Amino acid sequence: MEQKVICGIEGVGIYGVISILICFTFFTGTFLWVVSLKKNYLKHMEDLPLDGSEKNSTDKNQPTTL
Amino acid sequence: MNVETFKYDNRIVRAFAIATVVWGIVGMLVGLLAAVQLFFPDANLNLQFITFGRIRPLHTNAVIFAFVGNGMFMGIYYSLQRLCKARMFSDFISWFHFWGWQSIIVSAALTLPLGFTTSKEYAELEWPIKIAIAVVWVAFTVNLIGTILKRREKHMYVAIWFYLATALTVAVLHVTNSMTMPAGWFKSYSMYAGVQDALVQWWYGHNAVAFFLTTPYLGLMYYFLPKAANRPVFSYRLSIIHFWGLIFLYIWAGPHHLLYTALPDWAQSLGMVFSLMLIAPSWGGMLNGLLTLRGVWDKVRQDPVLKFMVVAVTAYGMATLEGPVMAIKTVNSLSHYTDWTIAHAHSGALGWNGFLTFSMLYFLYPRLYKTQLWSTKLANYHFWIGLLGIMFYIIPIYVAGITEGLMWKQFNKDGFLQYPNFLETIVQIVPMLRLRAIGGTLYLVGVFMMAYNLYRTAKAGEFEPDTEVQAAPLEKTVSSGAHGKLSWHRMLEGKPMIFTVLAVVAILIGGIVEIIPMYLVKENVPTIASVHPYTPLEVLGRDVYIREGCLGCHSQMIRPFRSETERYGEYSKAGEFVYDHPFLWGSERKGPDLAREGGRYPDAWHYNHMDDPRSTSPGSIMPRYPWLLTQKMEMDSLPWRLSALRRIGVPYPAGYENGPAQKDLQAQAEKIVANLKLGSVNAEPDKDIVALIAYLQRLGTDIKNAPVTTAAK
Repeated sequence: MEQKVICGIEGVGIYGVISILICFTFFTGTFLWVVSLKKNYLKHMEDLPLDGSEKNSTDKNQPTTL
Repeated sequence: MNVETFKYDNRIVRAFAIATVVWGIVGMLVGLLAAVQLFFPDANLNLQFITFGRIRPLHTNAVIFAFVGNGMFMGIYYSLQRLCKARMFSDFISWFHFWGWQSIIVSAALTLPLGFTTSKEYAELEWPIKIAIAVVWVAFTVNLIGTILKRREKHMYVAIWFYLATALTVAVLHVTNSMTMPAGWFKSYSMYAGVQDALVQWWYGHNAVAFFLTTPYLGLMYYFLPKAANRPVFSYRLSIIHFWGLIFLYIWAGPHHLLYTALPDWAQSLGMVFSLMLIAPSWGGMLNGLLTLRGVWDKVRQDPVLKFMVVAVTAYGMATLEGPVMAIKTVNSLSHYTDWTIAHAHSGALGWNGFLTFSMLYFLYPRLYKTQLWSTKLANYHFWIGLLGIMFYIIPIYVAGITEGLMWKQFNKDGFLQYPNFLETIVQIVPMLRLRAIGGTLYLVGVFMMAYNLYRTAKAGEFEPDTEVQAAPLEKTVSSGAHGKLSWHRMLEGKPMIFTVLAVVAILIGGIVEIIPMYLVKENVPTIASVHPYTPLEVLGRDVYIREGCLGCHSQMIRPFRSETERYGEYSKAGEFVYDHPFLWGSERKGPDLAREGGRYPDAWHYNHMDDPRSTSPGSIMPRYPWLLTQKMEMDSLPWRLSALRRIGVPYPAGYENGPAQKDLQAQAEKIVANLKLGSVNAEPDKDIVALIAYLQRLGTDIKNAPVTTAAK
């Protein structure tokens, strides 16, 4: 049945090629993107959750060892 | 430098935190009650409202949408404000979101025990509640995007990407799967039928796991884990690949819930392949989480927050390895419909979602109340009892699942089924079901310990409703890179709207590739000439089957294995379900498959079986349904139901519901009553049981009684 379904689509041959292209482009693009990221940008992003802007208000009250 | 002073809203975080604990206890208690009923059916106290079929969806909804949902909002409202250096976009929307969500939970807790259900897993709530969910979800999304737009931090940290993907994808999934035709205030029929309905449902169901239980919690992991360990995330690059890889691949994997069913093979293969690919980003994320702790493992020994996090992330890794393995067709042929699936779901729910939620609560309470945790010792006890609870829960159920799968498939040397009576396979696993309930109890005891610990922490401290902070406002123009050239990725995540559109495109690609052929499938389901719409009495009987949640234990899908065709009869064909709004294939077998139940037993057998299953099947774990014998069927709403079904494509003649349908119903009911009399049972024709018997006796008979003719297009 699946053959009927798939072969019933006009120009179905291109679907497989498009699928592989989408996957390949997507992951290659993502890979190139992350490789191109600058160190200082990465450092800034990594430190975002650790930003101590509210240190004065709450962090001094945190237990040192739980 | 221009610096602005502003306040983070802690009240909304506290509200969601309290709701998380309260609904967590409720959801787990209901789960425990359901678990006990599996080996002690009378634990339903003979009340229809708390019988397994009705409280199973209550348990899943409460744990997913109430416990994890509130936990997610708690974590998002806390971390988003801090990552954006901005108060939430609108306090009004925050509280509208909070009370709206709690109202939805309360309405679920009322309607599901009353039997108002669509029967579609994790989407059981009826249409008025579905609309309310959509409205509240839009409010949450507006609040989320509004806060991002008014942020004082130039860049969006990866956690926010996960939050955005969650908000948008859940909206797409919810709307697509909620297409129903109302047939009264609390009754509706899925617009899709049979195979098509199954594909949409599991596209939704799988991605509800992905985008409600996984992506938001990954965002929370990327915030709270570095925060608790006081270390930056191991690799920010890896987190980017984790995000895009995950949202791109996850959306394709839904059909792995329907392997070897009547779903076309191409869709099944697609689901399997993408599920396997999912291992890569999932494990990338898990390793990123665990490696963040490099150099601070000594802290894990002391800090219960980190302890819970380590187990949560490990459970995430285990569940996301196991899921793809179960999506391999050969493995799935053994695991599907068994308790293995339940064990898999709970390693994720108890380990990943549960433990990460607990870690966030232990992290947040001392900070919200400006104090120390009341008892670290008690938190450590909670950790160990919770971990023991998980082990006692999932290990027996893994054993049960594999035992069931093997027993169902076992042939003797003469080529006959070794265990032809399904009941034998259930009796065999009852000890495991008992152990599972012990595991669940331990886990719940831990939650009570936590609730007390958090209560004492709150009592000891002083709540800080707003945290005052200072930050520089965001410059209007995004500054350029080190060499004066703005790199495109930084521009992308600097512009949340473009980012949002791209994330939606990433999830829609997989969705569209599956959904477009789905419409083609509809055109190409081989029609079977002898398959006719249900009679009015059968429609009412089917609605009783839905109301009582029978599909929680009984599948209606015979897979094309000899072990199944020997046991149940001819395997199920796509064309048999063209009038099934909604499909009722089920996902779990605690009782035999019912796809070919029609004609297997006399009417009187069904009557007696519903009154007391153990009178016909000694040792059965099915609950009693005595109320079906006395409750009147819902004749008044029949016209609404039939016209709703006609509007979505079931070919009932115009005006059929105004007279002829009632006459046909009466005639069929009288016939069943006469049959019952032959079995020494006196029944009245207007009772629920008569409708249910009509439906059960119809199941699978269309192709049993007539030669199959397939009309190829």
